[in-house]
Parts: sequence; structure tokens; C-alpha cells
Amino acid sequence: MTTTIKKLNSNNIPIVRIDNKLESLKNKPIFQQKVNKANEVLRTVGLPKK
Amino acid sequence: MNLPRYELKAEKSLIIFEFISDGIKGQIPKIIKFDETTLKDVYNLAFGYKDSETGEIDDKVVSNNGDSEQVLATVVAAVYAFTDKYKDVWVYATGSNVARTRLYQMGISKYLNEIKHDFNVFGLLDGEWHKYQLNTNYTAFLVKRKEKLSKHTTL
Repeated sequence: MTTTIKKLNSNNIPIVRIDNKLESLKNKPIFQQKVNKANEVLRTVGLPKK
Repeated sequence: MNLPRYELKAEKSLIIFEFISDGIKGQIPKIIKFDETTLKDVYNLAFGYKDSETGEIDDKVVSNNGDSEQVLATVVAAVYAFTDKYKDVWVYATGSNVARTRLYQMGISKYLNEIKHDFNVFGLLDGEWHKYQLNTNYTAFLVKRKEKLSKHTTL
């Protein structure tokens, strides 16, 4: 782990290892409560004005 | 940002990320997810603890693993990877409680100069988005990547 972190830290670009097992979580509403709250806020305030 | 962070794994669309927090309480799996919202091109960022036995995910558990700075840096790295793939999106984030939102704010404030180099950063205050300023308490955050990007690397 330490070696990996050192290697990662020396690189400013995120390195992402692809793991197909995570596909199973993609369509699960695991953070639905937070998404609902976000939708509520965004519906009211929208995006920053340019 | 060149900060200590954990190795990230993701499925190929870079919507779901996983990393292992390695601290005083041992190794704790964490999941990061970018969910679509009802506003086009705005994604909600959430992350939480993954129970390695049940696979259940909880964003309210406080791990207290003594590595919050490294965890936040890893989440930021996921934002870089996500916005590198989806260039025109906004990412919305807030904590699951006031203390957690403050923690995020401390992380943003500490590295604001580096973050501003790559992102436009806004904070929500009194029902309006404002350009992020230090020493202001916001209830939510919104970022959008600036153009001029380097590519993330997948293995």
C-alpha cells in the first residue's frame, strides 16, 4: 500500500484502476436520500448566474 | 493537486469509485458515486462506508480512521477523473450533516488555490450560489472543471 501511495503521490494525474465488479453498484440507488436533497436544493436555486 | 491519496478503482464509466481507507482502525472500504440530478449535466457527489460483509453502503457512518485529509484528497482525485471524462458537468456536494459539510469546507479552503486552478468553485449561502470565499460557511458546494485539462490514466 505504501509503495502504491508513494507512486500515486508522485503523479499529479489521478490513476484509476478499472474494476468491473463495481458495475453492480452503478444502477443501485445507494445515496438516494442525498440525491433527493440535492434535487430539492437545485430546483430552488438552480445554477450560478453567469 | 499533489496530495497523499489512496488508489482509486472504478467501473469503466467512472460513475462509481472505490478505495480503501487505511488508518488507525484498519482498512475500511469506501464508495464514491456521481449521481445524475434532475438538472441536466449536474451530478451529486456522495461517498460513504461500504460494509465488506453485507455490501451495504452508509454515508452517515463516521469512520474516525485518522486519515480524513487523505480521504478528502482521494475524493478530489475522483472528481478530477470524473470531470476529465465528463468535461461540461457540474458537481454538487454537501455533507450528510453540518459537521460533515464543515469538514468538506475545511478541505476546500485549505487547498483553494490549487482547486481554483482547475475548477470554478461556488458555495451556497442564503439560497444563492456565490464564488467560493474563505471564512464563509456554506451549506453546499458546486464545482465545474475549467478547460485545459490533462487526461486521467486508467489501468
